[in-house]
Amino acid sequence: MASDPMGSQLRRILSIFFSLSIILPLSSPSPTMHNNNWAVLVCTSRFWFNYRHMANTLSLYRTVKRLGIPDERIILMLADDMACNARNNYPAQVFNNENHQLNLYGDNVEVDYRGYEVTVENFLRVLTGRHEASVPRSKHLLSDEGSHILLYMTGHGGNEFLKFQDTEELQSHDLADAVKQMKEKNRFKELLIMVDTCQAATLFSQLQSPGVVTIGSSMKGENSYSHHLDPDVGVSVVDRFTFYTLAFFERLDMYSNASLNSLFTSYDPTLLMSTAYYRTDLYERPLNMVPVTNFFGSVMKTIPTDSAYPGFLVAHASEYAAISAETETARVVLEDEADHSKTYDQSEKGLQHTLDEWLKLLEGKLGVKDPEVLVAYGLGSMVLLLTISTWLSS
Amino acid sequence: MGLFKSVNQLGAWGHFKILGPIIIYASVLSVFPLGSSLWFLDGERFTSGPLTGGGVMASHTFLSLLLFYLYSFHLLRPIYCSFGSNGFETTSVPKEEEFSEELLLKPLPDYKVLAHFHFTSISPPSSSNGKHHHLFPKSIAQLVKKYKIRELELSFTQGRWNYDRWGASDPLSTANGKPPGVELWALFDIPTKEEIDATWRNLTHSLSGLFCASINFLESSTSYSAPLWGFLPNNGDLRYGALPREAVCTENLTPWLKLLPCRDKAGIASLLDRPSIYRGHYHSQRLKLRSDGLNGIVIEQTLSVVLQPIDRTSWSMHQLFKKSLTGKCALAKSSKVFLEIERSLVSQNENILELVGEADMVTNDQRDHSTIYQYNVERYSEHEALDIRVNWKKLLQVSFLQAPLHASRFLMGSGNERGSIAISLQSARNSTKGLYDNSKNCFTRVVILQVVPWYVKVYYHTLRIYVDGAIRDAKDVVEKINVTPSEDKVSPGTLEMMLQFPCGMMSAALILDFDKGFLHIDEYPPDANQGFDIPSALVSFPDFISRRIYPDSISSPLLQSYKGRNIVKSYTEVLLVPLTTPDFSMPYNVITFTCTVLALYFGSMVNVLRRRVSEEERLAKSKDKRKPGLIPLLISKISNKVRGIKEDSANQSQSSEPILGPKVVFKVVLIALIAVLGHYFFNSS
Repeated sequence: MASDPMGSQLRRILSIFFSLSIILPLSSPSPTMHNNNWAVLVCTSRFWFNYRHMANTLSLYRTVKRLGIPDERIILMLADDMACNARNNYPAQVFNNENHQLNLYGDNVEVDYRGYEVTVENFLRVLTGRHEASVPRSKHLLSDEGSHILLYMTGHGGNEFLKFQDTEELQSHDLADAVKQMKEKNRFKELLIMVDTCQAATLFSQLQSPGVVTIGSSMKGENSYSHHLDPDVGVSVVDRFTFYTLAFFERLDMYSNASLNSLFTSYDPTLLMSTAYYRTDLYERPLNMVPVTNFFGSVMKTIPTDSAYPGFLVAHASEYAAISAETETARVVLEDEADHSKTYDQSEKGLQHTLDEWLKLLEGKLGVKDPEVLVAYGLGSMVLLLTISTWLSS
Repeated sequence: MGLFKSVNQLGAWGHFKILGPIIIYASVLSVFPLGSSLWFLDGERFTSGPLTGGGVMASHTFLSLLLFYLYSFHLLRPIYCSFGSNGFETTSVPKEEEFSEELLLKPLPDYKVLAHFHFTSISPPSSSNGKHHHLFPKSIAQLVKKYKIRELELSFTQGRWNYDRWGASDPLSTANGKPPGVELWALFDIPTKEEIDATWRNLTHSLSGLFCASINFLESSTSYSAPLWGFLPNNGDLRYGALPREAVCTENLTPWLKLLPCRDKAGIASLLDRPSIYRGHYHSQRLKLRSDGLNGIVIEQTLSVVLQPIDRTSWSMHQLFKKSLTGKCALAKSSKVFLEIERSLVSQNENILELVGEADMVTNDQRDHSTIYQYNVERYSEHEALDIRVNWKKLLQVSFLQAPLHASRFLMGSGNERGSIAISLQSARNSTKGLYDNSKNCFTRVVILQVVPWYVKVYYHTLRIYVDGAIRDAKDVVEKINVTPSEDKVSPGTLEMMLQFPCGMMSAALILDFDKGFLHIDEYPPDANQGFDIPSALVSFPDFISRRIYPDSISSPLLQSYKGRNIVKSYTEVLLVPLTTPDFSMPYNVITFTCTVLALYFGSMVNVLRRRVSEEERLAKSKDKRKPGLIPLLISKISNKVRGIKEDSANQSQSSEPILGPKVVFKVVLIALIAVLGHYFFNSS
């Protein structure tokens, strides 16, 4: 009789543990899961002769749309109207190649910020998510801690800045601050910043936030050049860096496994006439393990679950309470572990501490003018060393 | 509970079938039941709870509620009927949501073609809040509900409607002639001015998100105005704003098409080939909506394009749009294509136009201004696409019905300081002969609405009016005037004017002087050097109504809208005012120069004040004495090195002697010996 309640208790604990093992991964979605993709594509140049910057941006827009990011998750910022510009001989069409095979403007383009709206202020507002109350949802970057964000910018830049509409500048500090804010607000899991401007690499110099990988079209002191001129349109239609990026992506579809590394190493400095620079020290995963579709597409891992809605499993309040208690203990255990590691650290630190003290003492004595004392200390330490060495050798 | 209720409703219907006429009479007589209907519906819902729940409530409340329930059921009857039988005067209100699509083609006198797409969606009034929509765009319904809009019109236009050639007083041109860029006006169902302004601001943001345009720039109070009668007579609940420089392109058309049930996948909208329509000479895309309790919400989406056929003498639909019309949108109630031919094109010579293709119906309007050919799209399929072809047999120059006065606006003066705005009105009597007589008592009334941004500071007292070249006293001509002067960085200046001109007048001109203001450096747009646009002025003629009445045998929302009382109006050109723009690099230059000058000044000033020249000289001399010259010092050093003498050896030996003395060395060796011995001893033991 006495063993019965014990057994039942044990069974209950076991069952709780069992249910916990099923539910835990569902009830507490791990913060490391990548579950959605966003793209912010920015063309910062105004005026007709900067046609190529808009073509760059629209090419990327088309690529990410083709690889599966829907329109409502793309924030497209175009500083000027090129497609229906009076100078454009091909109304409602934008080309990035002189063969005119592909109309980038398509039939279903949706521009979120255009014309005078493309300012540094609005750009930073989009990144940090600090909008006025009346701004519609289509103009928000509604990413979360599971988002992979592609940030593509093109325009005219220089050492640690990017020009907006020829009047304003976005500095590398501004960008770094915005990214830092995003990280603190859990607005992204991983962020890929791709910049096609002159001296693009300098724009990344202030970034500190983890989970950010960046690539720029040129190093400090280098220019980024346009690829070719279209005699019918009358201006250059694409930049070299973007052109070769697109050339890489044209071979891919949604299901290809090309890695970020293969994209980054595909740039040939002789073709680019500049050196593509990428910074990965803030990024944890090895680049050859990261598929490009993690940023340029919207390909998710599928996780089979027993129930369509994990929320129903924890519908019963009592069970939920038990579980929450369990998780509580689990947390306590974790914390204990953390404590252990801390004390271990401390003991190690203590040893180091005493040694440091002795050395400091010695240093202090070195400064003493009396040589007798110094010699005495030296002899003392020598004796100490000798005894230790003999003890060890024996 | 739900079943119970529906059975009750059925019962009510049954009653209605029998008592119908009496109840209709009752409902028409009294407005009261409609007002109380919701309340009683609530009561019903409330009472049915205890009935099925089984006496949770106290018995007396239950009884009273039961009585109340029965009573409410009794009263509810007429309400059910009134909804069912269109007991009110809402005979045209459909019970279900409707959508219809139409296209009107019209050859213009300069061999261009006007294509006018007209889509109508109707949502009947609904009492419930969260309504499910079948055809009607939900986003618009939500917009109307949230912002309490009574009427709204949003237009995106590129190019300018050529009033001279393409007509100015037929319903199509009155409705379609829109100012370049974006024009938005809305009538709200909100009582206070502040609330209207706040709602307008939110509305502009919503629309900018919906239509991918920078309509949110109309948010600031400097960009919109509230005309009282110049645009549309109202009680101060109208807001009007225009953005003359807003680009119009595919991204605005995409969301507009998404409001249609078939988008551009089927039906008439599938003709909208983007490169073809944006190549046109004029392009205007509109959304107009009306909402009231009786008719529900009605949206008219229209798109007018003026296209230039490649071959001037003949064109077909396929040539114009590069696509062919193969069928109707399956969700559309009606799908029709019209070809409208103005009488002036036909009357002079019967054989100017030749039509290829058989029309389903041909009718003339009441006053015989035009002929309409109707084609029903459902007759056509993939195998037999609808393709209307028109051949011009003879090329000639005619023009369509003109407005009584042709309005144009221009700038006068030179320089960056001041200028004048002039509006000139030219009589177009030749084409509208029948409308005038030269008697003294005949007057033409003209209403002018002009909104000017604050940085163009108009002096309204300088208004000068010339009639037939002679200056006239404003009192003689101006019948009514309403001026809202601009306030710097707060509100634009609005001028509403009703003028009376004698009928025999040939020309008139209005001139207003203005000063150009200065903007703050932050307020200049990135392309300030291009100049600033002043929105179009609106010139309307309240005595002239453009309407065309076609026989009722054609049921078409487009031709129905022709019948309305549309006042003849025309928009003037947009003005481009060059303002003084700073050289934007200038501040940097100024800052660097100023800083250099200041640094020089302060540096020398401090030098003069703080430096003691005599002291320094003395110090320098004493140093010179103590130290030999640089070259002798070097030579002596080198010679010392060569001879192997250490320069400061004396000093070093002095300081190192106590440490490295023989005594110390002896001690160290001794200890080391002891240690080694000890080591050896310990090891051996």
